Amino acid sequence: MSTREIELRLPNELSRVEPVMDALEDFIAANAIPARCAGRLMLAVDEFLANAIEHGYPNGRKGEIAVHLAHAGDHLKLVLCDDGDPFDPFTAPPPDLTGTLEERRVGGLGIHLVRNLASSFAYRFEKGRNVVTVTVALADEAHP
Amino acid sequence: MQIDRFVERDIVITTVKGRLDSSSSHKLDEFLATVPEGSSALVLDFAELTYISSAGLRVVLKATKLARGAGVPLVICGLVPQVHEIFDVSGFTSLIPIHANRESALAALP
Repeated sequence: MSTREIELRLPNELSRVEPVMDALEDFIAANAIPARCAGRLMLAVDEFLANAIEHGYPNGRKGEIAVHLAHAGDHLKLVLCDDGDPFDPFTAPPPDLTGTLEERRVGGLGIHLVRNLASSFAYRFEKGRNVVTVTVALADEAHP
Repeated sequence: MQIDRFVERDIVITTVKGRLDSSSSHKLDEFLATVPEGSSALVLDFAELTYISSAGLRVVLKATKLARGAGVPLVICGLVPQVHEIFDVSGFTSLIPIHANRESALAALP
Protein backbone atom coordinates (compact mmCIF):
# COMPACT_ATOMS: atom_id res chain seq x y z
CA MET A 1 0.00 0.00 0.00
CA SER A 2 1.65 3.22 -1.14
CA THR A 3 0.23 5.27 1.73
CA ARG A 4 2.33 3.30 4.27
CA GLU A 5 5.10 5.79 3.57
CA ILE A 6 5.19 9.42 2.46
CA GLU A 7 7.84 11.88 1.42
CA LEU A 8 7.10 15.60 1.19
CA ARG A 9 9.34 18.47 0.16
CA LEU A 10 8.74 22.14 0.78
CA PRO A 11 10.57 25.44 0.39
CA ASN A 12 11.56 27.17 3.66
CA GLU A 13 8.39 29.29 3.83
CA LEU A 14 5.95 29.19 6.73
CA SER A 15 3.02 29.40 4.31
CA ARG A 16 4.05 26.01 2.87
CA VAL A 17 3.70 24.18 6.19
CA GLU A 18 -0.10 23.99 6.06
CA PRO A 19 -0.27 21.70 2.98
CA VAL A 20 2.27 19.40 4.68
CA MET A 21 0.04 19.18 7.76
CA ASP A 22 -2.96 18.46 5.49
CA ALA A 23 -1.01 15.62 3.82
CA LEU A 24 -0.08 14.26 7.27
CA GLU A 25 -3.74 14.27 8.30
CA ASP A 26 -4.57 12.29 5.15
CA PHE A 27 -1.83 9.79 6.00
CA ILE A 28 -3.13 9.51 9.58
CA ALA A 29 -6.68 8.87 8.35
CA ALA A 30 -5.62 6.39 5.62
CA ASN A 31 -3.55 4.38 8.11
CA ALA A 32 -5.99 4.68 11.05
CA ILE A 33 -3.19 6.03 13.28
CA PRO A 34 -4.39 6.28 16.94
CA ALA A 35 -5.18 9.81 18.15
CA ARG A 36 -2.30 10.25 20.62
CA CYS A 37 0.26 8.94 18.16
CA ALA A 38 -1.18 11.25 15.52
CA GLY A 39 -0.96 14.23 17.87
CA ARG A 40 2.69 13.52 18.70
CA LEU A 41 3.56 13.05 15.04
CA MET A 42 1.89 16.30 13.98
CA LEU A 43 3.62 18.06 16.87
CA ALA A 44 7.09 16.85 15.82
CA VAL A 45 6.57 17.86 12.19
CA ASP A 46 5.10 21.27 12.98
CA GLU A 47 7.70 22.18 15.63
CA PHE A 48 10.71 21.17 13.54
CA LEU A 49 9.46 22.79 10.35
CA ALA A 50 8.65 26.03 12.21
CA ASN A 51 12.05 26.00 13.96
CA ALA A 52 14.03 25.33 10.79
CA ILE A 53 12.16 27.97 8.79
CA GLU A 54 12.36 30.57 11.55
CA HIS A 55 16.00 30.12 12.57
CA GLY A 56 17.86 28.08 9.97
CA TYR A 57 17.94 30.44 7.02
CA PRO A 58 19.23 33.92 7.94
CA ASN A 59 19.11 36.86 5.50
CA GLY A 60 16.26 35.42 3.47
CA ARG A 61 18.27 32.51 2.12
CA LYS A 62 16.18 30.03 0.12
CA GLY A 63 16.26 26.36 0.96
CA GLU A 64 14.40 23.09 0.93
CA ILE A 65 13.12 20.84 3.70
CA ALA A 66 12.20 17.17 3.28
CA VAL A 67 9.80 15.23 5.49
CA HIS A 68 9.82 11.44 5.31
CA LEU A 69 7.43 9.30 7.30
CA ALA A 70 7.23 5.50 7.33
CA HIS A 71 6.04 2.60 9.46
CA ALA A 72 8.84 0.92 11.42
CA GLY A 73 7.42 -2.04 13.35
CA ASP A 74 5.31 -0.75 16.25
CA HIS A 75 6.50 2.83 15.65
CA LEU A 76 6.30 5.55 13.05
CA LYS A 77 9.66 6.89 11.99
CA LEU A 78 9.89 10.51 10.95
CA VAL A 79 12.97 11.97 9.27
CA LEU A 80 13.26 15.71 8.65
CA CYS A 81 16.15 17.07 6.54
CA ASP A 82 16.88 20.74 5.97
CA ASP A 83 19.73 22.62 4.30
CA GLY A 84 19.67 25.46 6.84
CA ASP A 85 22.52 26.43 9.17
CA PRO A 86 23.81 23.51 11.28
CA PHE A 87 21.77 23.32 14.48
CA ASP A 88 21.19 20.50 16.95
CA PRO A 89 17.77 21.26 18.46
CA PHE A 90 18.30 18.79 21.29
CA THR A 91 21.11 20.85 22.82
CA ALA A 92 18.72 23.74 23.53
CA PRO A 93 18.18 24.35 27.28
CA PRO A 94 14.82 23.14 28.62
CA PRO A 95 12.18 25.81 29.26
CA ASP A 96 11.26 26.82 32.81
CA LEU A 97 7.88 25.21 33.46
CA THR A 98 7.61 26.19 37.11
CA GLY A 99 6.94 29.95 37.08
CA THR A 100 3.63 31.66 37.66
CA LEU A 101 1.49 32.71 34.71
CA GLU A 102 3.00 36.19 34.73
CA GLU A 103 6.58 34.87 34.70
CA ARG A 104 6.02 32.12 32.19
CA ARG A 105 7.72 32.36 28.83
CA VAL A 106 7.47 29.71 26.21
CA GLY A 107 10.78 29.80 24.31
CA GLY A 108 12.07 26.28 23.69
CA LEU A 109 8.70 24.78 24.53
CA GLY A 110 8.22 23.05 21.16
CA ILE A 111 11.41 20.97 21.45
CA HIS A 112 10.58 20.18 25.08
CA LEU A 113 7.20 18.78 24.00
CA VAL A 114 8.73 16.64 21.25
CA ARG A 115 11.46 15.30 23.57
CA ASN A 116 8.87 14.26 26.13
CA LEU A 117 6.32 12.73 23.80
CA ALA A 118 8.52 10.97 21.23
CA SER A 119 9.88 7.45 21.86
CA SER A 120 13.30 8.47 20.54
CA PHE A 121 14.96 11.43 18.85
CA ALA A 122 18.34 11.94 17.21
CA TYR A 123 20.22 14.62 15.33
CA ARG A 124 23.05 14.41 12.83
CA PHE A 125 24.65 16.81 10.36
CA GLU A 126 25.28 14.99 7.14
CA LYS A 127 26.30 16.19 3.66
CA GLY A 128 25.47 19.78 4.54
CA ARG A 129 22.05 18.93 5.93
CA ASN A 130 20.49 18.83 9.38
CA VAL A 131 18.84 15.44 9.83
CA VAL A 132 16.42 14.99 12.71
CA THR A 133 14.97 11.51 13.31
CA VAL A 134 12.00 11.06 15.65
CA THR A 135 10.11 7.85 16.40
CA VAL A 136 6.61 7.79 17.84
CA ALA A 137 4.91 4.71 19.32
CA LEU A 138 1.83 3.55 17.45
CA ALA A 139 0.20 2.28 20.67
CA ASP A 140 -2.37 4.71 22.02
CA GLU A 141 -0.93 4.88 25.53
CA ALA A 142 -1.04 7.92 27.78
CA HIS A 143 2.14 9.82 28.56
CA PRO A 144 3.51 8.46 31.89
CA MET B 1 -9.05 26.03 11.36
CA GLN B 2 -12.38 27.67 12.13
CA ILE B 3 -13.07 30.13 14.94
CA ASP B 4 -16.55 30.98 16.23
CA ARG B 5 -17.75 33.15 19.07
CA PHE B 6 -20.90 32.84 21.19
CA VAL B 7 -22.11 34.85 24.16
CA GLU B 8 -24.02 33.14 26.97
CA ARG B 9 -25.05 35.41 29.89
CA ASP B 10 -22.05 37.78 29.77
CA ILE B 11 -19.62 34.94 29.13
CA VAL B 12 -17.84 35.00 25.79
CA ILE B 13 -17.24 31.50 24.40
CA THR B 14 -14.72 31.03 21.60
CA THR B 15 -14.69 27.68 19.80
CA VAL B 16 -11.79 26.52 17.67
CA LYS B 17 -12.14 23.68 15.17
CA GLY B 18 -9.27 21.87 13.48
CA ARG B 19 -5.56 22.50 14.05
CA LEU B 20 -3.95 25.26 16.08
CA ASP B 21 -0.38 25.17 14.81
CA SER B 22 2.39 27.38 13.47
CA SER B 23 0.42 28.11 10.28
CA SER B 24 -2.91 28.96 11.91
CA SER B 25 -2.21 30.24 15.44
CA HIS B 26 -1.85 33.89 14.35
CA LYS B 27 -5.55 33.90 13.35
CA LEU B 28 -6.63 33.00 16.89
CA ASP B 29 -4.08 35.47 18.25
CA GLU B 30 -5.75 38.28 16.29
CA PHE B 31 -9.19 37.07 17.33
CA LEU B 32 -8.26 37.10 21.04
CA ALA B 33 -6.26 40.35 20.93
CA THR B 34 -8.86 42.27 22.95
CA VAL B 35 -11.14 41.25 25.81
CA PRO B 36 -14.68 42.05 24.58
CA GLU B 37 -16.30 45.00 26.36
CA GLY B 38 -18.67 43.94 29.15
CA SER B 39 -17.60 40.29 29.27
CA SER B 40 -17.63 38.66 32.71
CA ALA B 41 -15.54 35.62 31.70
CA LEU B 42 -13.93 34.01 28.68
CA VAL B 43 -14.22 30.35 27.72
CA LEU B 44 -12.02 28.70 25.11
CA ASP B 45 -14.00 25.66 23.99
CA PHE B 46 -11.50 23.30 22.34
CA ALA B 47 -13.84 20.29 21.99
CA GLU B 48 -13.28 20.25 18.22
CA LEU B 49 -9.61 21.16 18.34
CA THR B 50 -7.78 18.13 16.95
CA TYR B 51 -4.21 19.27 17.48
CA ILE B 52 -2.18 22.03 19.17
CA SER B 53 1.52 22.94 18.89
CA SER B 54 3.70 25.29 20.96
CA ALA B 55 2.63 28.15 18.66
CA GLY B 56 -0.97 27.50 19.73
CA LEU B 57 0.02 27.26 23.40
CA ARG B 58 1.74 30.64 23.12
CA VAL B 59 -1.53 32.20 21.90
CA VAL B 60 -3.47 30.61 24.77
CA LEU B 61 -0.91 31.87 27.32
CA LYS B 62 -1.01 35.39 25.88
CA ALA B 63 -4.83 35.46 25.93
CA THR B 64 -4.85 34.23 29.54
CA LYS B 65 -2.45 36.97 30.63
CA LEU B 66 -4.50 39.58 28.78
CA ALA B 67 -7.74 38.41 30.43
CA ARG B 68 -6.20 38.37 33.92
CA GLY B 69 -4.80 41.85 33.33
CA ALA B 70 -8.37 42.98 32.56
CA GLY B 71 -9.70 41.20 35.68
CA VAL B 72 -11.70 38.67 33.64
CA PRO B 73 -11.31 34.92 34.29
CA LEU B 74 -10.39 32.71 31.35
CA VAL B 75 -11.04 28.97 31.36
CA ILE B 76 -10.55 26.20 28.82
CA CYS B 77 -12.84 23.24 28.19
CA GLY B 78 -13.28 20.12 26.09
CA LEU B 79 -9.68 19.02 25.51
CA VAL B 80 -9.43 15.74 23.57
CA PRO B 81 -6.76 13.32 24.94
CA GLN B 82 -4.04 14.17 22.41
CA VAL B 83 -4.47 17.90 23.08
CA HIS B 84 -4.77 17.42 26.85
CA GLU B 85 -1.45 15.55 26.79
CA ILE B 86 0.28 18.57 25.21
CA PHE B 87 -1.21 20.89 27.86
CA ASP B 88 0.05 18.49 30.57
CA VAL B 89 3.61 18.22 29.26
CA SER B 90 3.85 22.00 28.78
CA GLY B 91 2.89 22.58 32.40
CA PHE B 92 -0.13 24.68 31.33
CA THR B 93 -2.59 22.42 33.14
CA SER B 94 -1.50 23.99 36.44
CA LEU B 95 -1.72 27.57 35.11
CA ILE B 96 -5.15 27.70 33.48
CA PRO B 97 -8.41 26.15 34.77
CA ILE B 98 -9.45 23.29 32.48
CA HIS B 99 -12.96 21.81 32.46
CA ALA B 100 -14.17 18.59 30.86
CA ASN B 101 -16.85 20.31 28.79
CA ARG B 102 -18.65 23.60 28.20
CA GLU B 103 -21.47 22.83 30.66
CA SER B 104 -19.09 22.30 33.58
CA ALA B 105 -17.04 25.38 32.59
CA LEU B 106 -20.17 27.56 32.57
CA ALA B 107 -21.40 26.05 35.83
CA ALA B 108 -18.10 26.94 37.52
CA LEU B 109 -18.20 30.59 36.43
CA PRO B 110 -20.13 33.25 38.38
